[in-house]
Amino acid sequence: MSSAQAASLVINLTDSEPGFADEIKELGGEELLECIQCAKCAAACPMVLAGFSFFNKRIIQAILLGLREVLLDDSSIWACQSCNRCTEVCPREVNPFEIIQAMRRVAVREFALPTMSIEGLKSLYDTGHAVYLAGAGNTRAKVGLPEKPPSTVAYPEALKELQAIMRKTALADLGIIPMNGFGVADTCEV
Amino acid sequence: MSRIGVYVCHCGENIAGAVDVEEVRKYAETLPGVVVARDYLFMCSDPGQELIKQDIRDGLVDRVVVAACTPRTHEPIFRKAVENGGLNKYFFEMANIRDQDSWPHWHDREGATAKAKKLVASAVAKVALLEPLEDRYVDVTRSSLVIGGGVAGMFAALDLANMGYKVYLVEKNPSIGGNMAKLDKTFPTNDCSACILTPIMVQVGTHPNIELLTYSEVESVEGSIGNFKVKVRKKQTYVDWDRCTGCGDCVEACPARVPNEFNEGMDKRKAIYIEFPQAVPKRAVLDIEHCINCAKRAIGTEPRIHSKTGEPILAPCEKACKTGACDRSKPYNPDGEIMELSVGTIIVATGYKVMDKTPFKEYSPQSPNVITAMQLERILSATGPTEGELRRPSDGEKPRTIVFISCVGSRDKNHHTYCSKVCCMYMLKEARLIKEKYPNINIYIFFIDVRTAGKDFEEYYNYCRGLGIKMIRGRVGAVDELAGDRLRVRAYDVDLGVPVELEADLVVLATAIEPAPGLEELGRKLGITCGSEGFMKELHTKLYPVETPVKGIYIAGCAQGPKDIPESVSQARAASSAAAVPLAMGRVLVEPLISEVDQEKCSGCGICVPLCPYLAISMVEYREKPLSRINEALCAGCGVCAAACPSGAITLHGYTSAQIHAQIEALTAGIGGGANV
Ligand SMILES: Cc1cc2nc3c(=O)[nH]c(=O)nc-3n(C[C@H](O)[C@H](O)[C@H](O)COP(=O)(O)OP(=O)(O)OC[C@H]3O[C@@H](n4cnc5c(N)ncnc54)[C@H](O)[C@@H]3O)c2cc1C
Ligand code: SF4
Ligand code: SF4
Ligand code: SF4
Ligand code: SF4
Repeated sequence: MSSAQAASLVINLTDSEPGFADEIKELGGEELLECIQCAKCAAACPMVLAGFSFFNKRIIQAILLGLREVLLDDSSIWACQSCNRCTEVCPREVNPFEIIQAMRRVAVREFALPTMSIEGLKSLYDTGHAVYLAGAGNTRAKVGLPEKPPSTVAYPEALKELQAIMRKTALADLGIIPMNGFGVADTCEV
Repeated sequence: MSRIGVYVCHCGENIAGAVDVEEVRKYAETLPGVVVARDYLFMCSDPGQELIKQDIRDGLVDRVVVAACTPRTHEPIFRKAVENGGLNKYFFEMANIRDQDSWPHWHDREGATAKAKKLVASAVAKVALLEPLEDRYVDVTRSSLVIGGGVAGMFAALDLANMGYKVYLVEKNPSIGGNMAKLDKTFPTNDCSACILTPIMVQVGTHPNIELLTYSEVESVEGSIGNFKVKVRKKQTYVDWDRCTGCGDCVEACPARVPNEFNEGMDKRKAIYIEFPQAVPKRAVLDIEHCINCAKRAIGTEPRIHSKTGEPILAPCEKACKTGACDRSKPYNPDGEIMELSVGTIIVATGYKVMDKTPFKEYSPQSPNVITAMQLERILSATGPTEGELRRPSDGEKPRTIVFISCVGSRDKNHHTYCSKVCCMYMLKEARLIKEKYPNINIYIFFIDVRTAGKDFEEYYNYCRGLGIKMIRGRVGAVDELAGDRLRVRAYDVDLGVPVELEADLVVLATAIEPAPGLEELGRKLGITCGSEGFMKELHTKLYPVETPVKGIYIAGCAQGPKDIPESVSQARAASSAAAVPLAMGRVLVEPLISEVDQEKCSGCGICVPLCPYLAISMVEYREKPLSRINEALCAGCGVCAAACPSGAITLHGYTSAQIHAQIEALTAGIGGGANV
């Protein structure tokens, strides 16, 4: 490894953001400072098993040290399965899952989200499903299910309500979903 | 022929787990003189002791051997049982087949059993030759000496004084108070150290039963429990303390400046000085080494007379002093004064010193902005060099980023392998005090383990984390000096698993707690050896934590090992009550296990005299011949003299040559190249 590469591995804390922890607390990670880095959450987390570089405990330490850029440059936070095991096991009631959610909020505001997620959000707005298999109607019919599932797909009024809610979120401010109530497909461009 | 009873103890599984007790018992039955050998689960229990007593009452046995644990804790119990059974209690011998056999040879049943047999045989051989001895008592001098006037020494002294005993408190510095007097606030409650300590100092200073001997050191200690003779040197202050009022006028006037020990060398004091503002006693002392003898006024000389005014030419200190306490014409004795004290018990409370930063080359000790935690205490304190303003030493700027490094010199084979125990908490405390006052200062604590195992300590730690103090697991590897008085700190964050570095304005080293300088020498005077870490060793970690191997001498506070104030005070109060017991009893038992000279055999060579560590032996004129005599009250029964006497004139009762030879023969039977093989 060249020395330049080696040097780039070092995280310089002098460049860290002192207010980062407060930002995360405001965005939902209220119990952040309660974490004592015991790593019990990491022991329960599927992200760790899947080999992601940042998972609950490590994300929290990075936030505590103000390493905003480091976390924004990494997509691990989007791999959280929302299984909530960490929140169940944490002995200090930190609610690590909420901290990851808060971190996602930070990332969204910075547009630091993977294309996959943008697709998912777009699909959620358009159909009410983050993952919607448009061609599933026939298959459903074959096994005796109604062609449209009993969700926003079958109930356009429900989809409208969902879209109204989503337009009130930061996603709309950021232009990830349309700002106003017009048609769906024509405005949604990210 | 004596009738010996042998009692082998299982000590639950402690002995039976490694030794075949039944085999040992059977073997004991075969030994000469043994009339009965029994075994029991716990010999020290009531039924166990009853076995011995019954055999004595039945006239079955007249000598007793118990093969069990250590005589250190159990000999007195069995002696009592022997006595209650109706025998002289010195017709008893113990074989230690636990601490010296089953424990160290736990995985070698055969070897341990063979060794147990030897130990039993040796005790049996000795017990047959024992003589009856009588206990003696000596009267106790009802006073105590406390060495060291820190928080531990002060509490020990106050307790004894309140019980009505006379206490001499010897402190080497000009004032009592110790290290606690230097602290700003104190965990876990953050009360101001001076505010809680000063009233205690005043109580000590004014207590009618306490004689305060500050600026003094112990020269020599003789005697034993109940009657110690102690010589104390009152060092020369060159100021008449009967007149000095502590006004500080001389200090104001003195031009000579010396690094100030109380402020950890961060500012200067004068050659004549008062140790700190709340000093007790508040008196000036002259540091003669640094006095520049203004106006050529060397101590003990007459002043020159001004040619014009005809007035004597005085030094500024003298001139300023309104009470005449600072009179340099007096012929002071540079060696001070020796006082002789008689005391019944002694408490050692000499405390600690913190390590200096210089050995830690990797942390740039040459930088003024790398300081010890004790220096930070002084910076934070209102009586410190910055009057409590947080400023870095190099240029007086307020630091924006502060880094604390834990375990500096602790848990480190190059320095001290022990944990200094208080640093984790005081780092958190110092960080918290700063963070509460200046929330915008960035604080990092680099640690290996956070050890906050005390009442309310974990809550304190969590509170500190809640303040946003950044905790990073990982020992700092390097601190480098950068331009602009900044410091680069390099470490590895174990939790992130990455190397980290940052720039700081102030780096605080939690340097290790060490024994007070000279503790080892003091130990020699007292007859107590220090442990491998240099602290004074207690007699038994669990059961006799404030006692020492020397009866009548006790320990308290950091002299025994690193500890915080709550622990130091608890231990001091434990030591004071232990030290009060002999005083309250008024007399102490002197075991008859001491040496005696047979004057018929003594050749008067005098070899024994300088060998006795307790100075118990002297030569006395007897029929125009010098003969050795042993003072019973001083002899501790160590036996050095008996071993050394070329004429075989000295007998150590309970350990006579015949008894010891019998033991050795029993132990070595069948060993070596001799005829026995
Ligand atoms: C930086 C730092 C911060 C700390 N903060 C806290 C805190 O916030 N809370 C807390 O609980 N604890 C704290 N501690 C620990 C606390 O200082 C000790 O627990 C306490 O001072 C121990 O008291 P002591 O009487 O045993 O020893 P000392 O205070 O060291 O007193 C010993 C005295 O004996 C004298 N002496 C030494 N040798 C001799 C001799 N040969 N003859 C005569 N006199 C002698 C010394 O001059 C001294 O006056 C801190 C320690 C450090 C290093
Ligand atoms: S979030 Fe909870 S479980 Fe995870 S490291 Fe922190 S304290 Fe431990
Ligand atoms: S909720 Fe997310 S971070 Fe928590 S255990 Fe599940 S996957 Fe891991
Ligand atoms: S003579 Fe007095 S004033 Fe001068 S240095 Fe000495 S103590 Fe200070
Ligand atoms: S108390 Fe903490 S900092 Fe001090 S030596 Fe022990 S572990 Fe290290």
